[in-house]
Amino acid sequence: MIRQFLNYLPLLLLLGWGNAAEARPVSWPGGWTVMTMNDPDMNALHLSYSPTAFYSVGVLHEYMREPGARMDSVELGNLLKRWNYPDSQANLYLQSGLGIAYGGGDMEPAAYTGLSADWEDRRFLTSYTNRFFYGGDIDRYARHTARIGVAPYIGDYGDVHTWLMLQADYDAGKKDHASLTPLVRLFKSTFLMEAGYNLDGGALLNFTAQF
Amino acid sequence: MKLWIVTLCLSIFCILPLRPAYATHGGPHDVTIKVNGLVCDFCARAVEKVFRGQEGVEAVGVDLNTHEITLDLQNGTNIPDDKIIALVTDSGYSVTEIARP
Repeated sequence: MIRQFLNYLPLLLLLGWGNAAEARPVSWPGGWTVMTMNDPDMNALHLSYSPTAFYSVGVLHEYMREPGARMDSVELGNLLKRWNYPDSQANLYLQSGLGIAYGGGDMEPAAYTGLSADWEDRRFLTSYTNRFFYGGDIDRYARHTARIGVAPYIGDYGDVHTWLMLQADYDAGKKDHASLTPLVRLFKSTFLMEAGYNLDGGALLNFTAQF
Repeated sequence: MKLWIVTLCLSIFCILPLRPAYATHGGPHDVTIKVNGLVCDFCARAVEKVFRGQEGVEAVGVDLNTHEITLDLQNGTNIPDDKIIALVTDSGYSVTEIARP
């Protein structure tokens, strides 16, 4: 099993990781980020520290609902590239993690990796995230998430910003491959909350704070 | 279920006080920096944090509408342009112009 895991590892690390949450995985130099993510597939708690504005190190605890498994991991987030324009910004992130998955009385080494790309101005936002997860016999998946969003009004720094978004998820390994989730993002200073309701009846609730 | 409840409580605690958190800085400033990439409060907070940690900086303002960072400096202090450019770049953004009255 370990050998099989090691065979997958280089591929996993190359492909990059994207968390289900769409908040920024890298903060300012010396900044901390805490995220909780809850959706029909999983519950997760993430804590990371950014020594610079270009990478972060962190820990993730995740409960994967469908196999009924848990995972604890350490992870590395990289801002590979940022494009700064006068009125907009685009980013490319790579995130990868190594840990242990627990499920069905078994314990397996786990790894995940993925890319996340986004573009936003103050009115519109679009993003794409993938996540490739290997947890031995406990769980394996490749998940893709895309978002579009619009801000109904443009607030100043420190105001409450509101985004209306539509999230599309695709996981070929799941019984229901694809899903759509309309959601609302409220964003104030460095606190971000997202609440949505999947068209198949599942709720989404995410929270991010940077400090 | 516990994490759902924690998430909801954090959200209510942090987001719901629906009022601006930061006063805008009026009047002339010692340094005005035009920056590309300032599009959200995370960006604004990042540059604010970085400049607030600098010796001699009395106040930092960020205006997302004009894409400007303004600095008020203590009397007798100065921050050279190359240091400003380095601080903004290290925060992940790009300086396009630095103006001093």
